Amino acid sequence: MLSDILSDLKPSFAAGAHTELRGQLNRSRSVVMVSGNLVQNARTDISGVSARVYRKGACGFSSMAEYSPEAARMVLSAADENAAFMETHAGADKPALPALAGGRCFVTEGINDPAQKIYVDFLKELDAYVEKNCPGLLSRQLIAMEDSMEKLLVTPDGTDAHTILPRSYCMMNFIAATPAGVPVERFGSVGGEGTFDLNFTSFDACRKKADELYEQLMLKKDGVYAEAGLKTVILGGIMTGMLSHEAVGHTVEADLVLGGSVAAHNLNKRVASDLVTLTDFANTAFGKRCPLPVFVDDEGTKAKDVTLIKDGMLIGYMNNRESALHFGMEPAGNARAWLFSDEPLIRMRNTSIHPGKDKLEEMISSIDDGYYLIDSGNGQADTTGEFMFGVTMGYEIKNGKLGRALLDTTISGVAFDMLKTVDMVGDEVIWSSSGFCGKKQPMPVGMGGPALRCKVMIGGR
Amino acid sequence: MDRLTAIASLILDEAKKQGADAAQCRVSESEKKEFNVDGGRFSLMRTLFDRSVSVTVLRDKRKGSVRINRFDDDAVKAAVGDCLAACESAQPDDAWEFCAEACDEHFTDGAPECDTEALFMRTKELLKDVSARHPKIMLEQVICDHNGVKCVYMNSYGVKYTTHGGSYNISLMYSAHEGEKGTSFYGTEVSLKTLDKPLIDCALIEREFTQIEAQLGAGPLEGKFTGTVLLAPMASLEIVVGTVLSNFVSDLSLIDATSIWKDKLNAQVADERFTLAITPHAPYVVSGSEYTGEGYPAKDFELIENGVLKSFQLSQYGANKTKGVRAGSDSWEISITPGEKTLDEMIKGIEKGVLVMRFSGGQPSAGGEFSGVAKNSFLIENGRLAGALSETMISGSVPEMLTHIRDIGSEVLCNGSMSVPYISFDGVTISGK
Repeated sequence: MLSDILSDLKPSFAAGAHTELRGQLNRSRSVVMVSGNLVQNARTDISGVSARVYRKGACGFSSMAEYSPEAARMVLSAADENAAFMETHAGADKPALPALAGGRCFVTEGINDPAQKIYVDFLKELDAYVEKNCPGLLSRQLIAMEDSMEKLLVTPDGTDAHTILPRSYCMMNFIAATPAGVPVERFGSVGGEGTFDLNFTSFDACRKKADELYEQLMLKKDGVYAEAGLKTVILGGIMTGMLSHEAVGHTVEADLVLGGSVAAHNLNKRVASDLVTLTDFANTAFGKRCPLPVFVDDEGTKAKDVTLIKDGMLIGYMNNRESALHFGMEPAGNARAWLFSDEPLIRMRNTSIHPGKDKLEEMISSIDDGYYLIDSGNGQADTTGEFMFGVTMGYEIKNGKLGRALLDTTISGVAFDMLKTVDMVGDEVIWSSSGFCGKKQPMPVGMGGPALRCKVMIGGR
Repeated sequence: MDRLTAIASLILDEAKKQGADAAQCRVSESEKKEFNVDGGRFSLMRTLFDRSVSVTVLRDKRKGSVRINRFDDDAVKAAVGDCLAACESAQPDDAWEFCAEACDEHFTDGAPECDTEALFMRTKELLKDVSARHPKIMLEQVICDHNGVKCVYMNSYGVKYTTHGGSYNISLMYSAHEGEKGTSFYGTEVSLKTLDKPLIDCALIEREFTQIEAQLGAGPLEGKFTGTVLLAPMASLEIVVGTVLSNFVSDLSLIDATSIWKDKLNAQVADERFTLAITPHAPYVVSGSEYTGEGYPAKDFELIENGVLKSFQLSQYGANKTKGVRAGSDSWEISITPGEKTLDEMIKGIEKGVLVMRFSGGQPSAGGEFSGVAKNSFLIENGRLAGALSETMISGSVPEMLTHIRDIGSEVLCNGSMSVPYISFDGVTISGK
């Protein structure tokens, strides 16, 4: 764990400026096995210190790959010089950032460092299970991984913090061939917040997931292409989470709003049916701890939930301290950095559409001709709200019943148009948290939601 | 460089002392200067002092890897110990191998030193040029940086490479706006050896600004048809080249035999006008790969020549696993041989299709089937651009597209790491609302 060598430097922060000083350690462990071959067996530890200085809207940042008082002094000086360079060369005339209520936040429990053998042995046993119980696969790819961010933050006015956020997963990707010999895949993961040794005390969840993925892949390899066009669909919770994050969440990040996103013209306007409420949760959602809880951000702002859409109306943006001042909103802890050498950017935390009252079975039985889309490989969205998700698992719905499995396809639409077609909302939220959000820097995020009935463009073949 | 060499030597000595059969390491330090522009105004200047130590060891045919960013002796020795501990748990595999031909090479690449003042002035000039010449363009984010790197690679067989390199890197993300109308965002990245000309004149940057401005007022396509897709270089890279390199010729796809080209070496897999090479030493590559991840010197090679698959892109590990041949390089510095038609001439030859500047789609399947949104695209009808499109999807099969090439253009995107022309393909499904 990082020791606090930074607090004593607070008196040396530049006068007339806002300064953040952050020490950070990122740890990652990764073991990859492909059809029984151990192709990756790696450990990474990256640590250092960074400083950011904000003066009249000009910002300077510096980092060094060393965690020591000398390195901290050096980055404080370099960040101040960079802020001065920007002030003289690019001009700066913005007001000072409003002061935050001070405080301290410590979330440092639960950070073990399991030996690499733990990951390798776990995968070997899981691989043996898959080889025995999942016949006919062209390939089986298994990953055991953990990453964690430990941060020690000192600010002149905000919350000084020492936090650790570990997460660990077991991921599986199975490949089989269609009757025509074309490879098709099914990917899934098990895990969440916590170190690998705590999250994987038994094989039960992984074996269950392997069985589920295999069963789905066997249906998918004999699957059909979706018919292209505008269709009524049920989006499963994973797909809704992707929609919440990619298609809506990014457009209401204040830096992208300032860059001209569609949300710039839609604040306090209807953007969804009144069944839709969307929140970026900080650390607790629907009475439970979030998949990846955030308690304080990297500007020293204590983290709070941000309601983005309420009953279909767009009512908020996610901000850092500077953009909150610009929009007259309250910062809520969305400024997050990935490595010690990264500056805080406006990022989501745990973004989810709120559950409704509908049962999934009733939603499926309400559709004569459509699709139930349950999983996504990836997704991208535009600042216009136009989005695209890969659909890696889904089924036809014919006369209110699930039909044949689908081969890979894609759905697309414009978020604020598509959300207005939502007319049923499921009563159960499903979260995912194993991936990274990409925006200059990667960032672990949680995304979730209930099943939604809506209309969306599907790619077909 | 002496300090980095001393650390690398310490790692190899320590690995031997702790019982490794073989070891390799890469020790580097870098300094990055970076200017950020957000929403059209300068927002941040960064200076990053970074370090990296990567260690890989083999013992009893077992492999372990560790990466840290500390240079002190205790941390380095601990990293070697962790690496060997990782080996302990791994399974033995005869295929792991490092380059064993001793050498001592030094490379100076790109632009090792940064002219910070010039980098700022070129960035500022870009903002002015965009404002004056493309007033509808809103620069959501501009990142202009210089990254200077010193690096030492050494392995226990006497292979040593030292590199002092660097590059200026320009990354733009922008869209066009007029009132409440806005286009999809577009992004481009360019690496440069020098700052001898305005940034707007580099690569295809100004042409792309003009094309994005023409996207204002885009509307959806009605219906669905099978037609010609004319891919801009970045879209070709994403859909075609990315699929070929990841799904058809990579270690992973060949080791687990999911590559549909696994039995196609020396067979025709593409139109005979199509030649795709990996070219880390091409003159337009700013800071190319000098050696592979296993320590072999990197060499240019042709992956597909006149449509014939000439090589896979196997590492020595992949080659040992599949009884294949190690490729010249494991990098993605790409060159596709250009054709003779300009973009306008290519469009004139198309009866019905779309020009796609950017593709936003799901990962193509192992077999190369893909579908996704044709971003920043234009309808082509009767040999002319017939309006900008939104919400238009394209879907097809990369191996089929490669055998249905209509034209390869003469104009290429040369962005410091690749040289790729416009390419048009027949038989792709294009669907709108």
